[in-house]
Amino acid sequence: MRMQRAGKFAKRSLRRFWRGLREWCGDAAYERYLRAKGRQDSESGTLNAEEFYVEQINRRYSRPNRCC
Amino acid sequence: MKGILKFIVWVCVGIAGAGALGAIALHRGEPLNATWFVVAAVCCYMVAYRLYSAFIAARLLALDDSRATPAEIHDDGRDFVPTNKWVLFGHHFAAIAGPGPLVGPTLAAQFGYLPGTLWLIAGAALAGCVQDFIILFCSIRRDGKTLGQMAREEVSALGGFIAQIAVLAIMVILLAVVALVVVNALKSSPWGTFTLAMTIPIALLLGVYLRFIRPGRVLEASLFGVALVLFAVVAGQWVAESPSWARAFTLGGVSLAFVIIAYGFAAAVLPVWLLLAPRDYLSAFIKTGAIFSLAAGILFVRPHMMMPPLTRFIDGSGPVFAGKVFPFCFITIACGAISGFHSLISSGTTPKMILRESHARVIGYGAMLLESFVGVMAMVAACAMPPGVYFAINSPASIVGGTPAAAAATISSWGYQLDAQTMTQLAHSVGEQTLLNRAGGAPSLAVGMAQIFSSTIGGERLLSIWYHFAIMFEALFILTVLDAGTRVGRFMVQELGGRVWKPFARTGWMPGILLSSAIIVGMWGYFLYQGVVDPLGGINSLWPLFGISNQLLAAVALVVATTILLKMKRLRWIWVTLVPMAMLVAVTMTASYQKIFDGHPNLGFLSKANSLAAQIAAGQIPAAKIAETHRLIFNQRLDAVVTGVLALMILVLLVEALFQWYAMLSGRRQAVLHEAPYVATQWAAGFTGVAHGDD
Repeated sequence: MRMQRAGKFAKRSLRRFWRGLREWCGDAAYERYLRAKGRQDSESGTLNAEEFYVEQINRRYSRPNRCC
Repeated sequence: MKGILKFIVWVCVGIAGAGALGAIALHRGEPLNATWFVVAAVCCYMVAYRLYSAFIAARLLALDDSRATPAEIHDDGRDFVPTNKWVLFGHHFAAIAGPGPLVGPTLAAQFGYLPGTLWLIAGAALAGCVQDFIILFCSIRRDGKTLGQMAREEVSALGGFIAQIAVLAIMVILLAVVALVVVNALKSSPWGTFTLAMTIPIALLLGVYLRFIRPGRVLEASLFGVALVLFAVVAGQWVAESPSWARAFTLGGVSLAFVIIAYGFAAAVLPVWLLLAPRDYLSAFIKTGAIFSLAAGILFVRPHMMMPPLTRFIDGSGPVFAGKVFPFCFITIACGAISGFHSLISSGTTPKMILRESHARVIGYGAMLLESFVGVMAMVAACAMPPGVYFAINSPASIVGGTPAAAAATISSWGYQLDAQTMTQLAHSVGEQTLLNRAGGAPSLAVGMAQIFSSTIGGERLLSIWYHFAIMFEALFILTVLDAGTRVGRFMVQELGGRVWKPFARTGWMPGILLSSAIIVGMWGYFLYQGVVDPLGGINSLWPLFGISNQLLAAVALVVATTILLKMKRLRWIWVTLVPMAMLVAVTMTASYQKIFDGHPNLGFLSKANSLAAQIAAGQIPAAKIAETHRLIFNQRLDAVVTGVLALMILVLLVEALFQWYAMLSGRRQAVLHEAPYVATQWAAGFTGVAHGDD
């Protein structure tokens, strides 16, 4: 019983770590964008993955984002 | 009962921290173990976070979780993205952790380990973290506005203009000085140069993969890229051992400077997806991995501090850079204790992604504590090597001599025992021809890191691999700062130019892109070239300039924070930002004055220029070197003017702010706060922001 609970805890922790890592490195950015888009009533078109990637990094590297 | 137990635990943490600090400050005799530094730093950070940041959060800022943040109000999945607290902590830390907290403490180790360590810990807890936290809070309450916008709205139009110019100035000097650190690390090093050169085709490969093959799959591409970079580190040894290949990758300082200038221009002009972004991904992974590995290595090896707590160079006669412990220890440490540049991140991306106001405490205050800890680790790595070796690596040839024998004789005469054989053997064991005269901090930090890593894995056999891994790690993320900074600088130049001639501000107009890139690269490239040909090694003049401009920007941020707190009617607690601001003004003004007017040629720019001019007049300079000497004189005078302008900006801003504060406090002017209106959050109390709907 205790082993099972420990196993579940480990699985949940790993899943959280994996999700956090994908969020941190930017892997999940497009999924997040689609979710945000789904919540809006905006009439503007949805970008595909490639367009979103290029637009996102163009914006990110136009302002200070790496420090001394 | 639980409360009493908690209280006892915190009292124990406090006692442990005070005891460890006491040991660091008072211990004399046998070398001190690095564990004391780790215990002192961690316990002080814990107490500061638990008490001081809680006080700021509750009393000063009154963080309100019922209030919707910009990420909730404007959630668009692009700029405004509600992000889990710990994920955003990682983002913010990756953004603020640059080469500064590694290089600064390494250079400041010339005073001994004590002054730098004390300022790293106290400065971060009482100034750096406070600045990051409060500016982040101010930006959250203003829909994610930048420092410049807040300065304009809350202080005055002049304050906003000074902030903008300060950002551009710090950018130019920062890029020059970090490029100089790379040049000094890679000159005459085919192994290091090859490894770093290989990161460019690897980044291009990743860029194409991420753009066309699997768009946005950063994790898999970065892991593949990291594996290739690690292979390049190993392959560098084969290059260094092959006479023909080694010749191709052996470059002098001036050639390397021009290569880096050309690279900076290319990175600013080429599409972001091709080179800049993929390099940044590689750098973020390697930087994070290397920092945590260093922490683990220090805990595992627990090296002894070979450097004394205080060296004779606190009197200002240091060979790495000239100047007394006050103010130059503070100016040199800079980012590890307080960095003005952080206020740009705290008022840039982070406030647009924060989920709750209360998260600002761990992200703003907590991430800076971690950055300070990186600085303490760099100090440990630098002080764990024998002082003689440290000075031999970091001193310019004009002071200690260009040969192992000369350097050993000079450094031994200072009381730090060194024999020529030690330096030759060390260079050989890390796979370099020489380690002498490599001012800049990167090689000595790499030696320190390599010794710690090799004591953990691989022993002496892997020392050269670890050394070049450390050099690659430092150079890779320094160049990432360089290319990202050049691009941002290009936009700033375009924006400023656009005020004079509108088409220049169009970001998609190719002549404008080329010209603005050439201007920004030309500016930092000039300072870089000047540093490379400087007989005193360049770091002596450029690093203090960088420190002064960085601390100037921090002063601007603290003026903005103080003004906002006054408008929020927090007069009783105003010392929280006012005292660090006063400290920064005192430090930067003293350092600026000494750098311009001090009578010693190694310290004062004008005195150096005058001494060179006198040498020409006395006929002591050979005819072939007269033109070069005139250039040196011009450079010294230029540095004096730049320092003077930076100091003047602080004074103008301070006078402007004092007038504003007086007008507000005396009731002559109404205090108008430009906060965004209150909007209640729609999110449930337990919402964490990790993958909406999954948690």
